[in-house]
Amino acid sequence: MSSNNYPKYSICIIIFLIISGFFSCKKFLDVTPPYVGTLDYAFRNRNEAENYLFTCYSALQSLGPADDPGFLTSGEIMYPAELGGLATRFQLISGNVQNLSNPLLNYWDFWSGSNGGGNLFMAIRRCNIMLENMDKPIDLSVSEKARWTAEVKFLKAYYIYYIARLYGPIPLYKTNFPIDASSETLQVRREPVDSVFNYVTQLLDESIVDLPEKINNPADELGRITKLIALCVKAEVLATAASPLFNGNPDYSDFKDLDGTQLFSTAFDPDKWVKASNACKEALDEAARQDKKLYEFIPNATITYLSDSLKLLLSLQNAVTEKWDINPELIWALNPVFPYQGYCLPRLYKENSGSENSKSAPGSFSVPISTTDLFYTNHGVPINEDKTWDYAGRLKLRTSDSAHAFYIRPNYPIPAMNFNREPRYYASIGFDGGYWFGDGVTDQNAMLSVQAQGEGSIAGPMDVVRTNITAIWPKKLVHYLSSYIKSSQYSEVQYRLPRIRLAGMYLLYAECLNEAGGPSSTVYDYIDRVRNRAGLKGVVQSWKDYSKNPSAPGSKEGLRKIIHHERENELCFEAQMGWDLRRWKEMPERLSSPLSGWNIRQNTPENFYKQVIQMVPVFTTRDYLWPISDAAMLTNKRNVQNPLW
Amino acid sequence: MAPEEKVISPCLRFKQKLKSFSMFKKQIFLLLSFMIAFVAGLQLVHAQATKIMVAGCVVDSLDNILIGVTVTSDRSQTTTDANGKFVLDINKGSMLKFSMVGFEQQSLSLDTMATDLVIKLMPSHNTMEQVVVTAFGKRQVKEAVVGSVSTINPEKLVTPSSNLTNALVGQVAGVIGFQQSGQPGLDNSNFFVRGATTFGYRQNPIILIDNIELSVDDLARLQVDDIASFSILKDASSTALYGARGANGIILVTTKRGLAGKARIDLRIDNVVSEATKMIELADPITYMETYNEAEHARPPFKPDFFTADKIYNTQKTLDHAPGSNPYIYPAVDWLDLLFKKRTNNLKATASVSGGGSNARYYVSGTYNVDNGNLKSSPFNDFNNNVQFKTYQLRGNTDINLTKTTILSLDLWGNFNEYSGPITSNASFSTDLYAQATHTSPVLFAPVYEPDAANQLTQHILFGNGADGDGGTGESLKYYNPYAEMLRGFKTFSTSTMQASLRLSQKLDFITEGLSFNGFFNANRYSYFDYQMAYNPFYYTVQLPSGYNKADNSYTLTWLNSAPGQATEYLVYTPGVKNASAKVHFQGDINYNRTFGNHKIDADLVGIRMQTVNANGNDPNTGQPSLPYALPYRNLNIAGKVNYTYKNRYILEHGFGYNGSERFAKDHRFGYFPTAGAAWIVSRENFWSGKLSEIISSFKLSATFGASGNDNIGAQRFFYLSDVNLQGGAPATFGTNNSYSRPGVTINNYPNPDITWEKAIGLNYRLEMTIAKQFDFIAEYWTVDKKNILLTRLVPQSTGLENNILANLGAAKSAGWDLTGNYNKAFHNGMILQVMSNFTFSQGRYTSYEEANYKEPYRYVNGSILGQPFGYIAERLFVDDQEAASSPTQAFGSGQVMGGDIKYRDLNHDGQITVADKAPIGYPATPQIAYGFGFSISHKGFDLSARFQGTARTSFFIDPASVSPFIVPSGLSGQTSLLKAFADDHWSPANQDLYALYPRMATNASLIANNLQPSTWWIRDGSYLRLKLAEFGYSMPNKLLKRMHLSKFRIYVSGTNLLNISGFKLWDVELGGNAFNYPLQRQFDLGFNLGL
Repeated sequence: MSSNNYPKYSICIIIFLIISGFFSCKKFLDVTPPYVGTLDYAFRNRNEAENYLFTCYSALQSLGPADDPGFLTSGEIMYPAELGGLATRFQLISGNVQNLSNPLLNYWDFWSGSNGGGNLFMAIRRCNIMLENMDKPIDLSVSEKARWTAEVKFLKAYYIYYIARLYGPIPLYKTNFPIDASSETLQVRREPVDSVFNYVTQLLDESIVDLPEKINNPADELGRITKLIALCVKAEVLATAASPLFNGNPDYSDFKDLDGTQLFSTAFDPDKWVKASNACKEALDEAARQDKKLYEFIPNATITYLSDSLKLLLSLQNAVTEKWDINPELIWALNPVFPYQGYCLPRLYKENSGSENSKSAPGSFSVPISTTDLFYTNHGVPINEDKTWDYAGRLKLRTSDSAHAFYIRPNYPIPAMNFNREPRYYASIGFDGGYWFGDGVTDQNAMLSVQAQGEGSIAGPMDVVRTNITAIWPKKLVHYLSSYIKSSQYSEVQYRLPRIRLAGMYLLYAECLNEAGGPSSTVYDYIDRVRNRAGLKGVVQSWKDYSKNPSAPGSKEGLRKIIHHERENELCFEAQMGWDLRRWKEMPERLSSPLSGWNIRQNTPENFYKQVIQMVPVFTTRDYLWPISDAAMLTNKRNVQNPLW
Repeated sequence: MAPEEKVISPCLRFKQKLKSFSMFKKQIFLLLSFMIAFVAGLQLVHAQATKIMVAGCVVDSLDNILIGVTVTSDRSQTTTDANGKFVLDINKGSMLKFSMVGFEQQSLSLDTMATDLVIKLMPSHNTMEQVVVTAFGKRQVKEAVVGSVSTINPEKLVTPSSNLTNALVGQVAGVIGFQQSGQPGLDNSNFFVRGATTFGYRQNPIILIDNIELSVDDLARLQVDDIASFSILKDASSTALYGARGANGIILVTTKRGLAGKARIDLRIDNVVSEATKMIELADPITYMETYNEAEHARPPFKPDFFTADKIYNTQKTLDHAPGSNPYIYPAVDWLDLLFKKRTNNLKATASVSGGGSNARYYVSGTYNVDNGNLKSSPFNDFNNNVQFKTYQLRGNTDINLTKTTILSLDLWGNFNEYSGPITSNASFSTDLYAQATHTSPVLFAPVYEPDAANQLTQHILFGNGADGDGGTGESLKYYNPYAEMLRGFKTFSTSTMQASLRLSQKLDFITEGLSFNGFFNANRYSYFDYQMAYNPFYYTVQLPSGYNKADNSYTLTWLNSAPGQATEYLVYTPGVKNASAKVHFQGDINYNRTFGNHKIDADLVGIRMQTVNANGNDPNTGQPSLPYALPYRNLNIAGKVNYTYKNRYILEHGFGYNGSERFAKDHRFGYFPTAGAAWIVSRENFWSGKLSEIISSFKLSATFGASGNDNIGAQRFFYLSDVNLQGGAPATFGTNNSYSRPGVTINNYPNPDITWEKAIGLNYRLEMTIAKQFDFIAEYWTVDKKNILLTRLVPQSTGLENNILANLGAAKSAGWDLTGNYNKAFHNGMILQVMSNFTFSQGRYTSYEEANYKEPYRYVNGSILGQPFGYIAERLFVDDQEAASSPTQAFGSGQVMGGDIKYRDLNHDGQITVADKAPIGYPATPQIAYGFGFSISHKGFDLSARFQGTARTSFFIDPASVSPFIVPSGLSGQTSLLKAFADDHWSPANQDLYALYPRMATNASLIANNLQPSTWWIRDGSYLRLKLAEFGYSMPNKLLKRMHLSKFRIYVSGTNLLNISGFKLWDVELGGNAFNYPLQRQFDLGFNLGL
């Protein structure tokens, strides 16, 4: 090599080095470091897995009243249509808002405008993911693993049950499809209703074995599923499956899959009621072991004196709003809290009107008169059956007397229909002229009362939002200590809305027994437990003494009607009736008359107490089951639409 | 004192040093060898042959001196200086060549020394002999180019607009674009190479400025005077070296470099007056109120007159300035006039110095631009709230001859932008004042009140407004006061981009002749921040009737936002987004270019690695910080290309790109994109002679075929990894006091390791010819198949997936024509006429798209035209309520369909109008045809030019939700103004025109949901023809210049958007659907260009 060539080679070397740089850096493109979070990290240890367990619970806790057809479609509460959103969902029973292109409360497709529907199919997938990975957390104890598995199975069962109540037959995702499954395999058919309910029962049975009897650490875990909850849900599932909507419903005799599979059983099966009543019995036995009993109000220290009638009233009101941990009646409530107390509370202070706003306490959940008519007379029979109660004269104005000293303010003319009603009426309904124990005043001699006659009145209409369109409030859904005074903040005593409470279980048991075997002393006993707590005499005696139809409790059909009515009164506003009326197939009957309220802008009693129709509900057979959206029909060729949609 | 330090013995420390030394030993050795090699390289000297010196001057046919003519002989080379002079030492008897783009090459051989040569270059009429800039800034003789490359003469890009992207469209065949806002700083045109040929994530071309991939904004800010070449690479063959980045075409810009010679100064100053091309016309306040009342009566619940006769009467008095009228009680506000002025002034100044000697050359330039918005300043305010956009730019390009074969170049570039403008409610900075001013009622409140008796001493401005309820304290405000929004403060952003590049060019003829190497390193930093300062305005109203005393025409103001903290007199500072990104780019390129007799080979091998890191790693879907987005974006690219020419007639070309992107799984990371092409210069054949060659002086055919790719297929970062949020999205809470919560886990993305490049397979046929040495014609027909387009899979939602599943399942097929025709004629009297024209047609169709099994054939996206919108077919308006009731159900929203509402066609005859009745309607928003034509004529120092630009086969929807009178569109809190056109021509009981411009009115959007649907009722033809630019200039003749010691002086006036021909009259058609954007600007420019 001559020295003259040396620089040339050097240049070649430089260039070679630079060029080789491009070929030698394969790792240049590996930019993702290890430990980039993937789903595997969710199951690395107990701590992470617990987070995923909560993920499974998440959908349950978002099933609030605003998404609950049981709350929105019962006709118990109305909400002005023009406010949109939530109000639109309250319009479901008007018969003209449900549609196929973008269904309301669409629980089937979660992505495309769910309109209030929850992500339950997604929740089912999450439960499956949790079940698939339950073995992975290295520090999860055997007992905790068993408990968590049971909880997730319960949740999966409950989600399936929730969707099935809406849609009837649904696809069952017992295990998850891999995400790269062909589109052909992802197009899953709907399973017949009976298979769906059987699968739900099977999952519940599997979960009941390992669920805890008691929550040992209520400070952190209250709200987690217990054995008792699962037993009660199982009873409810079986009762639903036995009910006329799902048990041999002739309306669906032609409802078939594309390959001809019958999606609803065609014949009524009485044995389903037997199974349901057995499940109720099993649940109630467990409840007894857990010392569950009907709630009775115990005054707190700040209340110096309380009359018996107010105490009874608070027992009934507070059975719903009492804190879960000290309410022996409460079996299962929805975490975290009921968010609409401000919507249920009438304005009780003059000072409220200036500074409250649409968000804190609009008081706009409006109870139609038909709902108030459901409550019995003080004799424990329906108002149109009570021989002693002037049904025809119920709109005549009168003033309070000593018998109603704790319920109705004196010298304030209101319709006679507010007098001589059962205590549950006064505990559940906030009406013009009625006393409102609480809201900052717990002295029974200084009780506030609702004054709602006309625009100038304290509780009267303020503007579009702060208006109760019937001038009747669902008092039961407000904790008596929740208050809104002057311009200070709305101080809410929060509570969880019960999903299952003992009184409901008693009535469910009674219903199932009556359906399975007709009237019996056990049936009467369980109804009467609920009635006695409400200050009413037993069903047989009440009907015998006061009803125009004294023999009704003696027949299966008569008693069925009584049990249904009892449930409507006892569980009023609690997001149960919308479901019950559907499974009983009583929706059209219940919604047969217009929903009306008082003439809210009038300020004399004579003009105010004129019934004004706010909505004429329309409910047809097709409305029993939810429509499946056009989009869902198109993406799955094995889908069949629900009947009549 | 740290005790640990004592413990370490000196001996140990020494050992550590030794250890670290050995760690670095290798690197130091490496460094040393580099340095030695470098120094040695510098001393590379060649033996000399017998030399003679030649010097002279080069001029054109008009005896104007020519600057920058390349003079070569054997291996020595120079260029003419600012006076057209050159000096060169050449080997005795060797050939001397003079060449310059646009001129015929001249050559002569010399045996003796000559110092006063005068060389005259004749203009070239054969464009094929021109040089074009192709991939990696390589200058290639046009005839050797096989692929489809269009170039724009940078001078053609000089327009009054300070945004370069607005000068692109209509200049050249193959570029389709449109501009939708005229707001300074935010007025980029949206442009596509050969149209939008994919429905994937990225559809726009890659922009490369001096080989660095930069953003559209960077291109927009680039100074035309700094541009040396502007090329558009259109087909697979020309983008082959960019492989996976070239699928949507490439815009390639190189900046100027210095030429040897004495310093040459170039200065250009423009003063630009800017005004809206067309302002929308609104109805007067009286018509507004009367029409409003009419709209209130039009639908149930039939409300009484909202505006009473008294109000209308008194407002008229206000308009008439009648005695006793009160503009505060009965306001009649022209918000547009109050907020906006008609014209605004912009300034542009740019200067450059270039020059150098035989060892180094430099090009240094600086730019200062000020673009002003058209907001009025207010006597009430001390600070300027108008939109102002300032740009400063500095550039320095230097080339140093290290040896005769080595050139080292250092380029520095800085671009600094300062924006200041009014407060906007959205983050994009687009001025929503237009939207606000056109969505505010003209008669409900005064913009500002004169102080009443109680407010005589008040310091703040008394803005007008209304309250939700009765006007009590603490209520939410009812309206939007655009005047208050304009005055209350300002919002600014600053961006800076700094870039440094180092390039080493080394000829390697000593290894083998024709070999050379180019190494290139670039670092780029971008930073951004914004903030705002504003006070919270005080709002007042006059409560009627109590607040107004008719007797003495005085009023009492009520303060509306009186709750504590709602209104402030002082400015509140709100910090905004801070962003930064860093780019590093390495590149090495070996080139081999040699001619052996009839064979000519030009080959390149290139390696590139790029990296971009962003300071804010935010997931674009959620806006939340996310780890994957903080990781560097990287590309690795190896590419090669061989071009072989036989007998200057037959050309074959083969290229490949082998690209890696970090976004895909290991197995799918690299993509291979081969291309091939061939060209035949028919006119060089022997049979092409005589008459034929006289008529058609050149004729060339070429065809290319190849693949290219696109890795920017989605916003998603890593497709092969799952993206799981382990910290939230699905919470649950337990405990007696609901005190124990966990946030839950959500899945943002499911992993799909198979996801890979979007691929384009392109075919290009090209014909080029020159007729009668004056008329150049280029025709190209192309097709492109896009495959592997990322799309969302169609999965039944009941499977419960938490997010979409993506897959490379989409495909589209496009085809089109690019036509260019240019005419050049130099007349004997010295007049030069140039006519240019171009035409582009592009249309694509979806060929693969996962969608549902529709019953109706028209619903399928598959097979439909790319970009074509879907909507209902509007037949006409309903005659009456009865017809509306008996027609197929149109259930949109809560409103009842009535006479005068739009009647849609029930395409599937199912008795109801649903989404199943939507069919493809109209043309895509991106025009399928773009064309341009123009001329320039120059004679005796005067020049005149004009350029027209047009688009066709495009349509747009008038956005009914934002233009429907009186309704409140989502995202705004005021009522929409009444366009005069709608006031004049709408359906009403009195005017039951079934084809009225606007259907039956309402004052609430939910009542007219039926009419707000996308349908043919609202679709309009978007085609237009514009006089984009006209310019008249005068250049000083040489004699005068010499006397003034100038090399150039030109003064000119020009105007953009002077004329617009379109069938659409309501507003400037290019704005598209929403009238209430910042209008496009017409600009008049008076400027001069001076060379020293």
